[in-house]
Amino acid sequence: MQTTIHYPKLRFGKKYVDIFPYWIGLLIIGVLFGLVGAFVVLRDGLQVTGLSNKVPWGLWISIDLSSISLGGSAFVFGVIVYLLRIKRFEIVGKLAVLLGFLGYSTAGMVLLFDLGQPLRFWHPIVFWQVHSLLWEITMCVVLYLTVLVAELLPVIVELPFFEGHPLHEKYPIIKKAVELAKSLSHWLHKIGPVLAVIGLTLSLLHQASLGATYSVLYGRGVWFNQSAPTQFVFSAMSGGTALLFFMSVIIFRVMRPGLVKDDVLYDVARIAGGVTLLLTYLRLWDWAVTNYYSFDRNITLQTEALNAIAPYSMAFWLGQALLPAIAGALLLSAKSVKNFRYLMTASVIPIFAAILTRWNYNFAGLIASSTYDPYTPVIRVSSYAPTWVEFAVASLVISYWLLAFSFAARYLPFKSSHKEH
Amino acid sequence: MSEIKKEAPDSENTASRRDFLKLTGALAGAAAVAQVAITNKAAHASSGGEEGHGPQWGMLIDINLCIGCQYCTFACEAINNLADDMKYCVVTTETTQSGEEFFLSRPCMHCQEAPCVHVCPVRATFKRPDGIVAMDYTRCIGCRYCQVACPYDARVFNWRDPIELSPQSPTFGLQEVDNRPRGVVEKCTFCTHRIDPGLERGLVPGIDPQATPACVVACPTTARIFGDLNNPESPVSVALSEAKTIMRLREELSTEPHVYYIPPQTDNRFQGS
Repeated sequence: MQTTIHYPKLRFGKKYVDIFPYWIGLLIIGVLFGLVGAFVVLRDGLQVTGLSNKVPWGLWISIDLSSISLGGSAFVFGVIVYLLRIKRFEIVGKLAVLLGFLGYSTAGMVLLFDLGQPLRFWHPIVFWQVHSLLWEITMCVVLYLTVLVAELLPVIVELPFFEGHPLHEKYPIIKKAVELAKSLSHWLHKIGPVLAVIGLTLSLLHQASLGATYSVLYGRGVWFNQSAPTQFVFSAMSGGTALLFFMSVIIFRVMRPGLVKDDVLYDVARIAGGVTLLLTYLRLWDWAVTNYYSFDRNITLQTEALNAIAPYSMAFWLGQALLPAIAGALLLSAKSVKNFRYLMTASVIPIFAAILTRWNYNFAGLIASSTYDPYTPVIRVSSYAPTWVEFAVASLVISYWLLAFSFAARYLPFKSSHKEH
Repeated sequence: MSEIKKEAPDSENTASRRDFLKLTGALAGAAAVAQVAITNKAAHASSGGEEGHGPQWGMLIDINLCIGCQYCTFACEAINNLADDMKYCVVTTETTQSGEEFFLSRPCMHCQEAPCVHVCPVRATFKRPDGIVAMDYTRCIGCRYCQVACPYDARVFNWRDPIELSPQSPTFGLQEVDNRPRGVVEKCTFCTHRIDPGLERGLVPGIDPQATPACVVACPTTARIFGDLNNPESPVSVALSEAKTIMRLREELSTEPHVYYIPPQTDNRFQGS
């Protein structure tokens, strides 16, 4: 079955222009700029960043956390497609796996630059410290990335290239490799449910641990929070599924009309909306427990200090409570709204909220932290501003994400495979 | 190129502290009084008897004797070959509730339940049987989780290549340990490079200067006392048992530091226990 792909074109006067090459060109510039930064940081070390002993985790960690959370749809849809066997989500599930892979590989890439000793990135795999959340996260991410590659391979081999190409006859080795990839992907597709269970376990483990990385640090006031791990899981499901909906509309409704029914897309939106509402509910209780029904001197002072330098509380009420509640309600009632423009606009909010959560969480505890002096401990406010090198590496990994996604959007057929079985 | 902010609070920092002081004086006071009162019992209970056999190295810093000369910091910089912004040991000016200033000298606390040990993903930071929180610099990946986890800001990241000569050398001593590579987190070692060979030669850490941490040796007022917490005869144990009050920093976090302080006696509220 051949899928016809419509390439969106922009109209300039009377001409319709396919902007794809220009878009790719722009991203390549982003990658090249990023490579300069990457070279500088690998050559000179982390002294070229704006990080300090007071704020040792900055922009890169925030990108890492965000990109992992936005890959959250992969485990949600892995379960829906392979375990619950809801066939109508199969094609959307393929996109979810792709988004998961991109999220995790982006995170891995940016983390590499964030290490003081990038060449020792493999140490956690060899030297185990099972009490460390960062160790657990590293192991989960490595294993889950493997699972995602295994789940993604069957999607990749749908490319027309694997069906037959002049190169196959010219170079027998390519033909051999293609046949191997095809049989491997056939086998991987069969063990899909197993992969889904492993993927779900790994995802739930480390999405939660990313929150726990901060929330176990009892000396850090706002970070020490029992519900952060749960919040991180639900926020990954909400942001990840919202991103999946947004991208699904572009890929399936605009570029491959007819491949996925509108009803399925509405259902994706409803899942995103439901989880977003659940998350908002959790968050409000968390706020009530930590800020209203209890009194922690450190948290109060930190919040005060953060409010003095940034709209910290407002960001919570607006970006993590009010707007997600509205967007969640709108997405949940997708079948009544039936307007993809409204729904896409609404889906941007959970994506933004997932990023905002991680950004806030990382910086809140670092920017405003308690001093250790015995009688008059105060909240010390530290500052951090990323340097151009940090922005360059950010541009590298974000351009990589967009580049890979753009090529996938344009060329992957996203075939429905269940007719074969 | 970014400069690392200085550890020691400067004058403007102190001003902002005062503002906060007004804001939170009462609360902080209540917490701190409770903390000091509890500490003496807790400290005596936990000093001695930890780990059972073998020495448990610990330190006592008498805040009343500290004159803020920073010799401890400088000696540490010299023997570890540290730049001025890489201090393992910092001396800051702090205040009591009544506003009286005192010097707080802070090495690594070598906590019994060290947060940095628990969070290190590769076991590069580990607790030695003798109580010292040590590091394997060849294993550290430079993730800086320990730095984020340490409640005492005792960790410094090595942002740059090792320097040729510490600004405090040779006045305060010469380099005694190997340089660490760029990109690892570093910390105070309680001068294990003196303790371990010293013990082999039959010396007693805390008594023989060659086997005692450089900061203790350098202190001109003997404000720092070092020794084996498990040995009731060691200088640190004797001083701990003679002290009227002792405290540890951020006791409420249950990190069980191996560094004890004799609180400032200028404020009558803290005398006796």
